Formats: sequence, structure tokens, C-alpha cells
Amino acid sequence: MGALFAEAGSALSQLLLRGAAASRDDRVREIMVSSPDREALLVDWLNEILYVAETECWVPVQFDVVEISETSVRARIRGVPVREAPSLVKATTHHRLQVEEVEGVLQGEVIFDL
Amino acid sequence: MTTVTANLPFVRLSPVLVEIPMSAREDMRVSARVYADGELWPKVTMDHSLDQVVNVSTLPGVTGYVYAMPDVHEGYGFPVGGVAAFKASEGIVSPGGVGYDINCGVRLLASELRASACHDKIESLVHDLSRSIPSGMGRGGALPLSDTELDRVLGEGCSLLVDRGLAGDDDLPTIEANGSFSAADPSAVSVRAKNRGRNQLGTLGSGNHFVEVQVVEEVFDELAAAIFGLRKGQLTVLIHTGSRGLGHQVCTDYVRLMDTAMSRYGIQLPDRELACTPFTSTEGKAYFGAMCAAANFAFCNRQVITHTARRVFERVLGSQGQLRIVYDVAHNMAKLEEHEQELVVVHRKGATRAFGPGHPETPEPYRRVGQPVFIPGSMGTASYVLAGTEKAMRASFGSACHGAGRAMSRRAAKRIKPGSQVRKDLEARGIVVRCPRTPELAEEAPHAYKDVDAVVDVVHRAGLARKVARLIPLGVVKA
Repeated sequence: MGALFAEAGSALSQLLLRGAAASRDDRVREIMVSSPDREALLVDWLNEILYVAETECWVPVQFDVVEISETSVRARIRGVPVREAPSLVKATTHHRLQVEEVEGVLQGEVIFDL
Repeated sequence: MTTVTANLPFVRLSPVLVEIPMSAREDMRVSARVYADGELWPKVTMDHSLDQVVNVSTLPGVTGYVYAMPDVHEGYGFPVGGVAAFKASEGIVSPGGVGYDINCGVRLLASELRASACHDKIESLVHDLSRSIPSGMGRGGALPLSDTELDRVLGEGCSLLVDRGLAGDDDLPTIEANGSFSAADPSAVSVRAKNRGRNQLGTLGSGNHFVEVQVVEEVFDELAAAIFGLRKGQLTVLIHTGSRGLGHQVCTDYVRLMDTAMSRYGIQLPDRELACTPFTSTEGKAYFGAMCAAANFAFCNRQVITHTARRVFERVLGSQGQLRIVYDVAHNMAKLEEHEQELVVVHRKGATRAFGPGHPETPEPYRRVGQPVFIPGSMGTASYVLAGTEKAMRASFGSACHGAGRAMSRRAAKRIKPGSQVRKDLEARGIVVRCPRTPELAEEAPHAYKDVDAVVDVVHRAGLARKVARLIPLGVVKA
């Protein structure tokens, strides 16, 4: 599940950066998210990344998930400073939200509001 | 194209109205009505929007009918282009029924100039608007706010901007609710939402938001047009934006809060994005106060952009370049209203309030002909001014559509035509385009939307609002 969350975070950061080359700085920070269940946790995790990117002009790009359960996740993140806060993705929705195991692999699907 | 809407039984009641009876699904509490003619019907059944209409009809306290406007398309939980009313005493309020961009709306400004008289200035106008109105999230706002000022914006709306010299006294009566919802509760807005909004006042935002310089191409209703101060050939400006990151965060916060709280009220949902609680509950009251505060922020956002546009017009056109607000109307809101002698919470998501003649909430100068309704088309196509009708009060809780309505996803639109070609097409038609990210033009290209003329025609024929004027773009500014 940690790998799924790290992968989802990376996918979102690629969207936020829109493919622009950017250099990672030395900051390492920790984020913690708690939610009622696994699906909500994925939504809240991605919304936390959006919030950090938008309010700090710093897009998280590397995710080291330290602890994870069905209802909480703690991760150390590294990121890249950006001149303009990302504007493409505005929110993570619950629309057609899925986290399920397919042939032994955990898969998640979320839809972003643009 | 494949029809993906579930096999829902329906009855065509008229050439422009279809009913999905309450018997269509056993959990429906009321029937649903869809405004669409034979041409639009296949388009509204291409996605899951009608399943979503049916889902909304299962919510506690829903009353009358759930309506889908002719621009309806799939949203998150509620469809975009959906209208539903819930009894204030026993019904719910739902953030998903309003949408993420709270009080996304449209404001029309009119100059006293004929477009033909300043034809050689249009490019300068559009270029200056593009430079002067911050578009993206990170470019900072035209009006950075302290904590105290932000709380006043949230609590008081546009009246604060009169004190700051960013609005005139005569601006406020031509804004829905005078630009201020009195039920706003800034304390119900989270610190995170305030942090997202703090530097965004006066910014356009991305997605389908825009500022267009337009000309009144055709007048259908001379009396209403004269009362609205519009005439053929006139130069106008249309502003389409909302509450920016602040509104998005309010929605995100309360979807989670209600998602967690629903079980306490025994509410079960067919779709989690419909998260809701009773309007009278602690959570319901808090959301309504926060939503009204975010709506006040949106009114102020459009007002600061108006102020910027006025400065630009004066710079480029001199003293003749004055801009008057025709009206400002929301299309993502929940409002406490009385319909059929009952107090209800009307959710309009991607739907415009369209009150008829004589309604006390319509500005006095317009009361004779009905509230102005603005229906922007897709980028590069026509926009419409309509007037609300008495019939709409009975046939849609006083509502009309809000735009052309998406006909395909952004990704599909990009596959059909690249942004560079869309830009060339628009420029070939003499439309000045200012958009820093050319690929995004493809997402909002005309082919991604339904035909606005067909959508407005259904609204007019259904009697939800009547056509007053058609405006066409001369220039467009996008994020």
C-alpha cells in the first residue's frame, strides 16, 4: 500500500509540474494524513500534496512512506521549488474512486477536478 | 457513439422535456425531468449524467423534481447542469450539489462604445487585460489580503470593496444578492482554505475560466435589451471565474466532514461524492455558512477583476472606455428560497438562477422583464443574454442552464485537434487570443462542447428564460 501511495504521489507531481524540468532542493519534510478508510486516505493524501504545492510553491516529487495503515499515512517527502504554484489540478474527488487488489497488485483510481 | 447511461425508462412530455419517472429505480424519492430536444437527447445520454440525476433524486428531503438542464454533463456526484431542491426543515445540504468552485459565475460589463468604433484597439485591449489580470494560481493576486481583511471579504462580500475604492455604490445593486450573502460565516472556513485564497483575489484561474471582449451581434428582445442597457453593436466584456482555491478547499473540507458524519444521521448514498447532512444539522449549518463566505469571496474576485478591466479600458480607450456592470450571477450555489410556499435549499450546480419578472430579488430596474441570465458559449463561440421567466419558477425552481456543456473529456478534445490549430482557427476568424499555454486551448475548444445555440434554444422554447441578445467574441483571455 505504501508503494501505491508513493506512486500516486509521483503521478500527481508529474501533472503538477506539467513535464517541466525542475531541480530538487535539500528540504525534507514529513506529512501525516488520517482518514476514515483506505479510499478516503488516498484522496486526502493527494489533497495534502496539492495543498503543499499550491500554498508553498514547492511540489513534492519523492515520497518515502514511513508508516501506513488503512486509516493513516506518514511519509517523508522531497520536492522542487517552483516560481508559480501549480494550477492544473484543483482537487482530488471521490468520483469513481477505487482502491482494489487485482491479481495480487493493489491498484488505485482517482479523478481530479481541473 | 455508445450510450453509457443505464437503461432508464423515460417519457417524452414535450418536444423539449423528458421525464424519468420515480418508478425508474426503487430508491428514487421523486421523478426527474430533463430539458432536451431530439437533437440534444443523444448527447445528454452519452455519459453518466442521467444516472447522477437519478442518484440525486434519492437524497433525503428532495422535493418537486430533480432537473437536468440542456447543458447537463457528468460531474462529481451531482451532474453539472443539475438543479435539486431539498426541504429546509427535513432535507439535506450537500457540498457536491454546489461543486468545488463555489459561486463560479458570470459577470457582464457593458461599455457605451460601438465595437466598430474601436476595432483597431481590440488587440491592445485584450493584450492589456491579459497582462493586468493575474490568471494562474501562483502569479499572486491583484489584492493581497491580511487575515482581518480576508475575514471581512468572506463576511461582507463586495461592500468592503466599496470602502477600498474597488467598487462603486452603483455596482452592488447589479450583483446577485448585492454581492454579499448575509449567511456567510468566516469562522466556518478552515485555515487551509484561507491560506489558499489569501493571494488569489482578483485572479482568473485556469480551466474553463476566461475574460472575453465581445460585441452584441443580435438583439431578440428590444424591450429587455433596452432595460438591461444593451444594444446591437455594443462593446461588452464577459468575466467567468469563481472562488478559486478557497472555494475548492471549502468543498474538500466539507465533503470529508459530511462523509464522516452521515452515518450519525442514517444517510446512505449511492455515490460517496454526494456526501451530505441535514441542512439543520451542525455540519449542515457550518457548510452553508462556509459556502456563503466562499461565495462572497467569488463576488469580490469578479469585482476586483472588474476594477482591473475598467483601468485597462480607460488606459486604451480613454474616458469613453467606462464599463457598467449589467449583472453578476452565480451558477454554482445552494440557496435558501421559497418555492410553492415552502422553504427549500435549492442546489444549482452548473445552473443559473433565472427569476421571473416581479421577483423582489431581481434588481429593481430589471424587475419588469426578469432577472438577466448569462449563458457563455465555449471559447470562440457566441454567448447569450436571457431574461428569467415566471414559468421557470414552477418548471425549474427558477433556473436555467449555465453554458454549452461539455460534450467530451479534455483528453478526447486534445486528440481531435491540437491547441496550436485551435489558436489558428480562432485567429483566422479575427478573434484575438491570449493564452500562455497553447495545449490548454485544445481542452476548451468549441468541438469539446455542445452547440450553445442549440442549448439556449431549448431553454428558450421550454420557457425557462427568453432570449434577449447574442454576443460574439472579439478577443479571449485565458489562464
